[in-house]
Amino acid sequence: MTDWRRIDIDAFDPESRLKTEDLLPPYTTQVTLAELQPKITQLRNLSTSGDISAAVQLAMQDPPYSADGATKAAYFQAVLDTLSQVRQADIANIVKQLSLDQEAVLVKYLYKGMSVPEGQRQGGILLAWFEKLTQASGIAPITHYLSDRRTV
Amino acid sequence: MSQSLRPYLNAVRFSLEAALTLSNFSSQEVERHNRPEIEVAHQSAELLLQPMHISRNENEQVLIESSVNSVRVSLMVKQADEIEQILVHKFTRFLEQRAEAFYILRREPIKGYSITFLITNKHTESMKTNKLVDFIIEFMEEVDKEISEMKLFLNARARFVAEAYLGEFVY
Amino acid sequence: MSYAAAKFPSNADKSVLSVFKLIKGPIYSHCYNADRSLLAITSDNKCLVFQLSGTKQPRMFATLENHDKVVTAVDMSIHGRIVTCSQDRNAYVWEPLSDGTYKPTLVLLRINRAATCVKWAPNGYKFAVGSSARIIAVCYYEHDNNWWVSKHIKKPIKSTVNCLEWHSNGVLLACGGTDGFVRVFSGFVKGLDSKDIMANSPWGTKFPFGSLIREYYHGDYIHAVEWRSNLEKLAFVTHNGTLGIVDHQDHLQEVNSPDGLPFRALVWINDHEILCAGYSCHPVLFAESSQQWKFAKNLDKAARSSSPATTGQPGATGDAEEEENPTFGISALRKFKELDLKGKVSTEQQESAHDNAIVQLLPFAESNGQVVQVSSCGLDGKVVLYNV
Repeated sequence: MTDWRRIDIDAFDPESRLKTEDLLPPYTTQVTLAELQPKITQLRNLSTSGDISAAVQLAMQDPPYSADGATKAAYFQAVLDTLSQVRQADIANIVKQLSLDQEAVLVKYLYKGMSVPEGQRQGGILLAWFEKLTQASGIAPITHYLSDRRTV
Repeated sequence: MSQSLRPYLNAVRFSLEAALTLSNFSSQEVERHNRPEIEVAHQSAELLLQPMHISRNENEQVLIESSVNSVRVSLMVKQADEIEQILVHKFTRFLEQRAEAFYILRREPIKGYSITFLITNKHTESMKTNKLVDFIIEFMEEVDKEISEMKLFLNARARFVAEAYLGEFVY
Repeated sequence: MSYAAAKFPSNADKSVLSVFKLIKGPIYSHCYNADRSLLAITSDNKCLVFQLSGTKQPRMFATLENHDKVVTAVDMSIHGRIVTCSQDRNAYVWEPLSDGTYKPTLVLLRINRAATCVKWAPNGYKFAVGSSARIIAVCYYEHDNNWWVSKHIKKPIKSTVNCLEWHSNGVLLACGGTDGFVRVFSGFVKGLDSKDIMANSPWGTKFPFGSLIREYYHGDYIHAVEWRSNLEKLAFVTHNGTLGIVDHQDHLQEVNSPDGLPFRALVWINDHEILCAGYSCHPVLFAESSQQWKFAKNLDKAARSSSPATTGQPGATGDAEEEENPTFGISALRKFKELDLKGKVSTEQQESAHDNAIVQLLPFAESNGQVVQVSSCGLDGKVVLYNV
């Protein structure tokens, strides 16, 4: 106990500060991987059949905010595959069809994609999405992203 | 400018503009203190915002961590070989030792990055936000150029030295 | 008007009435007395009082210095009393004396963190102070002891209180903070307020001091709240760049900032119009038509070609990017041009009156229940008057 002066006593008071978990909106149900699997399959089918626009629309609808890490990762992988299959020229049109909420979700997946090695290997494609998105709606999706506590 | 650099810098620019919306915020943990909240993580989670990761490839990345009164911008400068690693290290060390002259430079980069800027509400209150963004973008543009120039210079010098030194042994 | 016209010859929309550059540092808060002849601003650890006459540059009148840390907010009561609060955890009430000086009285806030915001109740007999100690202190004068005492509102505030606002009835107190909640408390002080005023309030039946009347979760930092008392509505602006309007039936409407950057301040112009301002450095007007809040217009928006916000507008085609983005794609010629200009103030044609974030808006002049002039203060040390 030589280091007792360094103990952060406030951390022992549950009332004293907010933790990351406290900031999340309370979820009533937790999405499991089994429940999400049909959506992932549908997503993959759409992107293999070449209908990227529909796939992106689907992917950005109700992302699994409440799921655990593994489920999020599986869904994220499907989204990343979809996003990287697109042709550069089509991006602008697809982005145009997204609603504001869908754009907010897209930004989350773009930042997340750029933070992991799989996404970084895709190189410019995520940046191209990002550029088209900011051309379509300016800075707004990013300010929404910054303080949104729900992660993908 | 190469094709993929522009969207990269563009993404950094937009992310920075959104992140540089700071307020003067006094600490809620320590009495009469006003400190950059981004540097005291694990205390009040609500004061930190979502981190933004922008990468051009695995070697060139920017991490923007934002909080209520401060933003940390960390750059990973491209390091293709060992010479570049040394050059980047020396170059950033040189700058960091003179950090007070650069106002927003952090004395130490955060782990995994080459150089880190720490922008607080004091900076955004005394400088124009878009100029701050311009500075960081310009820095990102220049640093690659600087490193490759230094590498060329170093190689040329090494060749000259080698010639001069080894010339002794030529009969 | 002549002053303004001379200073801004090219300003087409004439929304800027006058610009007062008062100090070098940021102004976090400003306030006026009832007849708009006095202006008080925060300046580092001081509060400066100016005399105001028309659109002439204000004349420095008094310096209030007792705080030893940054003064975060200042407010003036209808009786001319000034209250200041600061990050040194204290608040002072400054009583105007006949010789033009002010007599300070320390307020017993009993908080152990910074005070962040302060507002007089409309009747001028009490005020509320928000703090980083997750406490709102409602302060009133105690004649017996001859000092200002406070009562605390603690629960369920979980983080710093950023902003406060009294309802015109002087009982309901709205606040918002970094925990993402807009809350309405009762600030009813026995002996100061009468129960009759709340008789037919749609907000409830009982209002004991400190009770939580309403709570709205938003999730982002709340930067400002503002009552529209006659409509029983509450408007607030948040860090993700939205303006929200709620009423006592918890009916919430939200509208996004047109250029995406967050707002720091808002003011009700009339029952159906709200003016907001923040990090985009110019005010934005929102209007309600057929129950729907919408963006109406920008005031004093700088036409800056280099602003990335404009390049991000819809309709920007791929080919035009290079032209619209002078910071990128620097050609040799442009590079030389830039070198030539280095060190000089940039050539951007016209800037808005504020060149840093606007942090507070106040109604300056009203006619027929409509605010016609709005005053703003910003981090650039300016106070600007706008025509709405």
